[in-house]
Amino acid sequence: MLELNHVSRSFAQNLVLDDISFTVPGGALTGFVGANGAGKTTTMRIIMGLLSADSGSVSLNGQPLNGATRPNFGYMPEERGLYPKQPVIDQLVYLGQLHGLSRSGARKRAMELLARFGLADRAKSKLESLSLGNQQRVQVTAALLHEPDVLILDEPFSGLDPIAVDAMSSILRDYAARGVPVLFSSHQLDLLDVLVDHLVIIQDGRILANSSAAGLRATQASRHRLSLGSDTGWLRNEPGVTVIDISGHDALVNFDSESDAQRVLATAMSRGPVAEFAIHRPSLADIYREIIK
Amino acid sequence: MNTTTAPWLIVALREVETKLRDKAFIISTIVTLLFIIGSVALTGFLANRTSNFAVAATDDASFRVLEQVIQDRPEDVELSISRLAPEQAEQQLSAERLNATLSGSADAQEFTLTGFNAVDQELSSLVREAMKTVKTDQLLAEAGLESAGLPDNEDLILDQLHGDSERAAMASAMALVFSFLFYMAAFLFGMPIANSVIEEKQNRVVEILASTIRLRQLLAGKIIGNVVLAMIQLLAFLSIGLLAAYISPIQIPFLGVVTQVAGWFVVFFFGGFLLLAGIWAALGSLATRTEDLQQSSGPVVGLLMAVLFIGLYAKGSFLVVASYIPIVSSAAMPSRLLSGEVAFWEPILSLAILLAACWLVLLFAEKIYGRAVMHTGGALTLRKALKLEV
Repeated sequence: MLELNHVSRSFAQNLVLDDISFTVPGGALTGFVGANGAGKTTTMRIIMGLLSADSGSVSLNGQPLNGATRPNFGYMPEERGLYPKQPVIDQLVYLGQLHGLSRSGARKRAMELLARFGLADRAKSKLESLSLGNQQRVQVTAALLHEPDVLILDEPFSGLDPIAVDAMSSILRDYAARGVPVLFSSHQLDLLDVLVDHLVIIQDGRILANSSAAGLRATQASRHRLSLGSDTGWLRNEPGVTVIDISGHDALVNFDSESDAQRVLATAMSRGPVAEFAIHRPSLADIYREIIK
Repeated sequence: MNTTTAPWLIVALREVETKLRDKAFIISTIVTLLFIIGSVALTGFLANRTSNFAVAATDDASFRVLEQVIQDRPEDVELSISRLAPEQAEQQLSAERLNATLSGSADAQEFTLTGFNAVDQELSSLVREAMKTVKTDQLLAEAGLESAGLPDNEDLILDQLHGDSERAAMASAMALVFSFLFYMAAFLFGMPIANSVIEEKQNRVVEILASTIRLRQLLAGKIIGNVVLAMIQLLAFLSIGLLAAYISPIQIPFLGVVTQVAGWFVVFFFGGFLLLAGIWAALGSLATRTEDLQQSSGPVVGLLMAVLFIGLYAKGSFLVVASYIPIVSSAAMPSRLLSGEVAFWEPILSLAILLAACWLVLLFAEKIYGRAVMHTGGALTLRKALKLEV
């Protein structure tokens, strides 16, 4: 488990991270969301040791991180970073060696990963001759070469086509299944909805949520969605009902108890046809919008 | 599967490998080597060249002039002379069996030297001198005087207080070679250090590298890789040049001195280049694009021009001062050593100053590099870079 404890960082009087704490559990995919400039990249750079925190600490399985433990991280920076004019395999072998692999070991591992991404036949091409999506796959390969203990990926899905998104998702799930903590940022909320097990929401340098996806959904699980044949305005006067949103024939409400729900359903049916009466399962996108309001 | 290869060594090997795969580098090295061999061979050839002339005289007075030429000719001129009838001489000249014919006027006061389509300058000046001598001797004899009593060029003896002129000529020629080699390496291997730093900064590879190894190791690997390449190339140039000079059939003067000073030059080159490598790396980290380097490298380029010109033209106490200033000393001290009037402790002191400066500059360069290379956004000034927080 990767843990951030009370981390703060400012750049020239400007407080970018304000006492943030959150966890990235092992064996799960953790999504990291927030608006541009919320502090995601700064947080990731501090985890990677590329920036130092003004205060607070980062620890892995209870051990504070230092230079000796960081090389086991797999990192993909936001602004992609590889050598455009060098053949793909050459730079992967070089990076693998820097991570302590032997030359032949690095080559074997790189070829395996490239094959998995369907790029084995492009190994000898210069990076710049690949499409952006394929360059991104090479970038992920670079992060995975040395079988990292922790994966930190800044926007791994940006610019990928649907097929590549699937390949990337399956690779990330594989790593999570091995017990590796995986933290990745993304702006694609619908993708997070199907992918992540844990969500960290950051805004203006503060953590607004740090919870499992199931837990976040449960906070809104008592909501019901109603769709009736006539106006739903009468719901406002029903006891045991909190109206969240009403528009014409549709309503989103909270019932105080299950018996309130059943009573309202009976009332609704007596007033006319009921097209829909269902427990509302919020998407993470809905939850995110709700939280950052 | 894990090996213990130090990160700096992996980085250095990559620098070397990348360079060795660069066709432009390989070709320019081979061309320079051929140029060195060629110029040593050419020097030997020019020194050893003898001119052969065949000239016919068409009358007795002309023949006497040619005899005088044979007497006065320098060692590297061979002359065969003959006495032929005018028609026969012209025929032989037309057939290019002769270089020239010489014929005199009836009173033997004027002579005509005729070539096939041109008269060799060396030959014509030899004949001109000989003709003057013959005519002067004749006038003197008519006046009853001996030519031996006349003033002569040989009456002025050249001497100098310090060294000798041949050694001074050798020293300035070799100073040119040393300065130029240093100047060339500073660009050929220095600029790529800056460019590779910029490339990694621009493409953000440095983020991945910095999350893997320490920046100090990355910087060290880059500098060491390029220093090793520069030293190997320099040693190849010097050893091929000296070898060619040794096996050349011609005796090249002061070869022993040159070899000895070349040894010193290698040491000074190493120190000077190491210092420059630190500067280039720091400059690279301050830039954001390759274009920025053109501006920021101005002072370094100026310094290198100074090295070249001091190596070429500096004399006297100016050269003595220059031989203690780091980087400039890499050309200036070997230049002084060539002229042979340097106390044994002088190069050692100069080298100590150079290495101390090297150490300081590399420490400073590491500080700049570590701060600036992770910076995103516009190009930095030195002052801004030092203020950056890590």
